[in-house]
Amino acid sequence: MTNPVTQNRRHFEDLRIGEVIDLGHTTVSKEMIITFASEFDPFPFHLDETAAKASLLGGLASSGWQTGALSLRMLVDSFLNTVASAGGLGFTDLKWKNPVMVGDTIGGTVTIADLRRSGSHPQWGIMTLDFDVRNQKDQPVLTMRLANLVEAREPGVAA
Amino acid sequence: MTRWFEDITVDEVFPLGSHTFGEEEIIRFASLYDPQYFHLDAEAAKSSHFGGLVASGWHTVSVGHRKMVDALFAEEERLRGLGKEPGLSGPSPGVNSMDFKVPVRPGDTVTYELTVTGKRASNSIPGWGLLFNKLTAVNQRGELVYQADIVGFSKLRDYTMPLKLKVLLALTKVPVIGALLKRGS
Repeated sequence: MTNPVTQNRRHFEDLRIGEVIDLGHTTVSKEMIITFASEFDPFPFHLDETAAKASLLGGLASSGWQTGALSLRMLVDSFLNTVASAGGLGFTDLKWKNPVMVGDTIGGTVTIADLRRSGSHPQWGIMTLDFDVRNQKDQPVLTMRLANLVEAREPGVAA
Repeated sequence: MTRWFEDITVDEVFPLGSHTFGEEEIIRFASLYDPQYFHLDAEAAKSSHFGGLVASGWHTVSVGHRKMVDALFAEEERLRGLGKEPGLSGPSPGVNSMDFKVPVRPGDTVTYELTVTGKRASNSIPGWGLLFNKLTAVNQRGELVYQADIVGFSKLRDYTMPLKLKVLLALTKVPVIGALLKRGS
């Protein structure tokens, strides 16, 4: 059955291991940091500049979960909304390498590290994506490996 | 948790409470961070294999983090109430694994729980310990929504810095030598 939303997007068969996606850039403002932290991560070092200066982070920094959420947003805009994505399965090895401070601009790449057919669902493939997110000084801020389902044009079986 | 490293028992379970996901907040999170059609548009989502709107996994995880932070603050209060000095927890270095199992739909209530599965002193940061935590999220039907292995830091109460480190730390405060040491590290 054809999915009318995704029918004109790239499908599992159209993807290649090694493809590199440019994430573009996002600049992280003080307001963005405080808004996210108020709802999801209300530690003083994500909410208050004075408390943040006295902390291990040395200044107001985004929640690590916000850094991840912004990385995901960049991936959706630059890639996931152009393919027949069927949702994430999870991730491994998420590492926060450096804090993201007020005014930092983050960007980077995501590489298709693996593509395989789902063992249990012939209509899907599983795409493994490696994130390399960096700040404007080219320092790494986040790495992770995400597994995401993609619809296949033709049902297949796991190799 | 907000306890000294020494006071945390492996296999200890911390209930973190529940959250009910409304359609409006699911769409609001998705529009900011994960604008895929099945997280954003209830009508279009019917064409997906989910058959309707589902929350972004990153949303359910972010709420789980909030629940953990609230539990940390509550534990801090409890310890102060008992006249004890709470410990210190530090920023998380990362997440070893996160598995999304069952999607969260509007109106679902998710209950979160954290179990300490292991701990050891940090090799890289003297005076701190690493905590290995398993976080689970279960819906109102008892189905597993996600399970994660998350690493955290907790400060040691009884840590005494070795003399060698004390001398090094003191030297970093001497202007010229300090600059040289930092350049070398």
